[in-house]
Amino acid sequence: MPYLGSEDVVKELKKALSNPHIQADRLRYRNVIQRVIRHMTQGLDMSGVFMEMVKASATVDIVQKKLVYLYMCTYAPLKPDLALLAINTLCKDCSDPNPMVRGLALRSMCSLRMPGVQEYIQQPILNGLRDKASYVRRVAVLGCAKMHNLHGDSEVDGALVNELYSLLRDQDPIVVVNCLRSLEEILKQEGGVVINKPIAHHLLNRMPKLDQWGQAEVLNFLLRYQPRSEEELFDILNLLDGFLKSSSPGVVMGATKLFLILANKFPHVQTDVLVQVKGPLLAACSSESRELCFAALCHVRQILHSLPGHFSSHYKKFFCSYSEPHYIKLQKVEVLCELVNDENVQQVLEELRGYCTDVSADFAQAAIFAIGGIARTYTDQCVQILTELLGLRQEHITTVVVQTFRDLVWLCPQCTEAVCQALPGCEENIQDSEGKQALIWLLGVHGERIPNAPYVLEDFVENVKSETFPAVKMELLTALLRLFLSRPAECQDMLGRLLHYCIEEEKDMAVRDRGLFYYRLLLAGIDEVKRVLCSPKSDPSLGLLEDQAERPVNSWASDFNTLAPVYGKARWATISKYQGAERRGPELPNTASFATSGPLIPEESKETGQELPDSGALTLVPNCQLTAEYFEKTWFSLKVAHQQVFPWRGAVHPDTLQMALQVVNMQTIAMSRAGAHPWKAYLSAQDDTGCLFLTELLLEPENSEMQISVKQNEPRTETLNSFISVLETVLGTIGDIKS
Amino acid sequence: MIGGLFIYNHKGEVLISRVYRDDIGRNAVDAFRVNVIHARQQVRSPVTNIARTSFFHVKRSNIWLAAVTKQNVNAAMVFEFLYKMCDVMAAYFGKISEENIKNNFVLIYELLDEILDFGYPQNSETGALKTFITQQGIKSQHQTKEEQSQITSQVTGQIGWRREGIKYRRNELFLDVLESVNLLMSPQGQVLSAHVSGRVVMKSYLSGMPECKFGMNDKIVIEKQGKGTADETSKRRPSAPAHSGKQSIAIDDCTFHQCVRLSKFDSERSISFIPPDGEFELMRYRTTKDIILPFRVIPLVREVGRTKLEVKVVIKSNFKPSLLAQKIEVRIPTPLNTSGVQVICMKGKAKYKASENAIVWKIKRMAGMKESQISAEIELLPTNDKKKWARPPISMNFEVPFAPSGLKVRYLKVFEPKLNYSDHDVIKWVRYIGRSGIYETRC
Repeated sequence: MPYLGSEDVVKELKKALSNPHIQADRLRYRNVIQRVIRHMTQGLDMSGVFMEMVKASATVDIVQKKLVYLYMCTYAPLKPDLALLAINTLCKDCSDPNPMVRGLALRSMCSLRMPGVQEYIQQPILNGLRDKASYVRRVAVLGCAKMHNLHGDSEVDGALVNELYSLLRDQDPIVVVNCLRSLEEILKQEGGVVINKPIAHHLLNRMPKLDQWGQAEVLNFLLRYQPRSEEELFDILNLLDGFLKSSSPGVVMGATKLFLILANKFPHVQTDVLVQVKGPLLAACSSESRELCFAALCHVRQILHSLPGHFSSHYKKFFCSYSEPHYIKLQKVEVLCELVNDENVQQVLEELRGYCTDVSADFAQAAIFAIGGIARTYTDQCVQILTELLGLRQEHITTVVVQTFRDLVWLCPQCTEAVCQALPGCEENIQDSEGKQALIWLLGVHGERIPNAPYVLEDFVENVKSETFPAVKMELLTALLRLFLSRPAECQDMLGRLLHYCIEEEKDMAVRDRGLFYYRLLLAGIDEVKRVLCSPKSDPSLGLLEDQAERPVNSWASDFNTLAPVYGKARWATISKYQGAERRGPELPNTASFATSGPLIPEESKETGQELPDSGALTLVPNCQLTAEYFEKTWFSLKVAHQQVFPWRGAVHPDTLQMALQVVNMQTIAMSRAGAHPWKAYLSAQDDTGCLFLTELLLEPENSEMQISVKQNEPRTETLNSFISVLETVLGTIGDIKS
Repeated sequence: MIGGLFIYNHKGEVLISRVYRDDIGRNAVDAFRVNVIHARQQVRSPVTNIARTSFFHVKRSNIWLAAVTKQNVNAAMVFEFLYKMCDVMAAYFGKISEENIKNNFVLIYELLDEILDFGYPQNSETGALKTFITQQGIKSQHQTKEEQSQITSQVTGQIGWRREGIKYRRNELFLDVLESVNLLMSPQGQVLSAHVSGRVVMKSYLSGMPECKFGMNDKIVIEKQGKGTADETSKRRPSAPAHSGKQSIAIDDCTFHQCVRLSKFDSERSISFIPPDGEFELMRYRTTKDIILPFRVIPLVREVGRTKLEVKVVIKSNFKPSLLAQKIEVRIPTPLNTSGVQVICMKGKAKYKASENAIVWKIKRMAGMKESQISAEIELLPTNDKKKWARPPISMNFEVPFAPSGLKVRYLKVFEPKLNYSDHDVIKWVRYIGRSGIYETRC
């Protein structure tokens, strides 16, 4: 994003760069160039001095060369014609006697992202592949991948691929690994590099010589290899055994994954492997490197899903320390909740109880939910702890405890009695919607066992006018009607009042409809009401189902050591759903010619435009800037082409949304500030045929729905559909990030 | 693979930005700043997903380093890479601070160019990198023949971590056993969890391609040797260990630098290697049994009414009286509504720091088997906040000149068959430093 005021700076630098006095003084010259790079880093548009920088590349000063090349790689796509002038110098450097200069020049040349550069880099790359210095070969091998990327989807050069395959036997370990990486990118369309028996065995033999990055990479590639026989399989596993104890946690995890996948038919081998990596994983979990510790904890949780007892004897390792960052504490609490068994339950609960009074409300609530989770197995102890917590009379604790109780009563009916005794008095300490709903639900369903239930509900009925959450009112209606069935005398009067209020005064449609519904139901007679409302009060089978969630190792082995366990399964599903569709480089104008023109639209939207398979493809033009006046004029002159609602919870972060929309080339014309009611935003976008899309987003937080209205200046349904699905994707992602 | 690397200061200003792949745009730099650095709430996770781009970040003092990618990568590997990058940078210019980064930004761009290519990690060994980085800007024409040949030998050599033809007038090596001892203790003095994570760091200035062998008092090795001698001398008392004087330790798990031959370690448990030149981490280990806890903290907190607290903390040093612990710091948390504190301590200096909500008690030196005490009266402002004070644990920092795990270096032998220097000619230094990791006592 070019900032204001960059013109002056550019002008000044331009002058300095072309000043012969400065050019003569090596240090001063370099200093000016450094300033250019510094401004570039800060985001100023420095493409104005391209010509001068090209001149500066013809120097013997390596530092200056490096800086200029860095500059050129950044701005070459903007000034392709000028960049061609630099090619000459680069080509000359490619045959310098110093291997470092050769490597540098080749690397920079391959990184110039501009059309037409391919013809110049082909020969230097081929020479580089046969260079005697492995430093140059490393660069050349990756250069092949860069060149292929520039070509876009053009066909694969068979000779080059063969050359790369033969370089897998290179002496230098980094060249070997780079070959794999390069082949993988070049052959992406055909499913990546082929790992056959000779290659696999060759790689296995080279493993000890590779550095940690190489080892991790090769382990990943070996996943693809299917050993012919059981014997071969076990030979491979024996060979790789040492890597389960590598000093690099990344390699350990990579090796673990390979073992789990290769041995997918031998559960005992898998268990054995998981026992072996217990040590390294625990070490990572207690290491000072917090981020690594976080990643390890995520994987520990993954393992616990299949082998609940796996870390039980090490439960103390997962006790939180006061100074640990928030994210580690939350992970540890989850782990503790999952590794509980008969022996350690006492200590774990004792520890968790300590966390419940933590200063951080978030963490305290997580600990309470964890106790709730353990309560499904060890009900009595947990309910006792939770009841004690109510005694603290803290808002954020009480609300979570009551929510935990609600879930617990549903799953473990045996604790109903204890819960009912604990409830009186809670209502004073609950203010938020979730907590109120939970409390009201409990009072409604189990009201006959709680002596003062009608009086608590009566308070809620009294204050219903000032109640802000519609969900609470709905819950209140249902609960009061239920309680009326079991204790009619105490409830009849206030039920009447509540129904009256809901039907006559309430402005929220859903609540009013619910009120009317119950009113009509009551008219049908009390027996009918009982038949409709008195459902079972608990469902223990649900809990049993959840307990059996022990998943076989094979169900997650392929996700191990990827981002899936880090993000959590559900979130990962939404993120990765569109991963394939994200192959466009949205920045860098003028790069469209070689940016792979992958579909920006998710698969499902294509079905709508099936008659014309490709007409649905939509390319939004970057930098479509409309003025607010023009937008307003157009907006009022057009009719709404499409309107829909989109589920949305909570508030919007305008910055995030704006950022995300920019990625898909939708410009924000105007937007309310965060937290405004109702919240509105106006967006504009233009596709490559000049069709304008004007959009209004309207969010009424109470309905937790976002209303989307789109107007279009040319009536074309296919592009409209694509546009809407892109917009939905963005909104969906933003929604996911928040929740 | 990594699409881009960004470095920010605490305000979120970009200090360094390097993009390696097309799929990462300039707007990614801003996205991270807005969503993570400027976010109101505390950091939720070191991995953040914004618009399907994953941002991995680590923080060093108040500098943020973020690696960005759109691919499904291995989280552990990316973090390891970021750590490695911090190490490399630290090796070049010391502490990673805003000032240092600004002053060395050319060097950092150079490093980033060599360490990653097209988003793939390349050479990351500091020693090997030195050949490629021209911090002072050597002119290419003036580069000596020798340097050029160094590059070639470096890049063709079979051993990636050491180049050939290294010569020193004085063959010297330094071994540092650096341990950090972690403790979580209950108010009653019961150890909830304790572990030592240690590193053996070696600085070698040795000529040629020396073969080294490292020995320590690892339980398994000692037992093995003990059995050997026992078999020879008397079979009647196999239970009596031959090295009865020396204690051995049980290592829970250990990992080695790439140069150590793992096959030999697995079969005979001997640690042999050809070391890289200069400083490197030979091994990393963890123990949980028989840890010598250098200090014991005994807290006593009494609430006198609603507006006063009495705190008494005793620390006892638990090691040989001849040794001295240094840089001792005890941090006693105080409630948020503290209005005034009176402190009396027998040794060192203690101060109430209102900004940190703690009494910080510093002692420069303390010998073993000693005891010291601090007592404080804390005046509280009356509040109607019903929230109870959470009583954070008392934490401690210190440095002791021994290894709390009990690890001892038994030998480090050097053989260089081609050059004429022997094990005896090498000057060897061994040092033990035990530091506190997270050393907390609940109160």
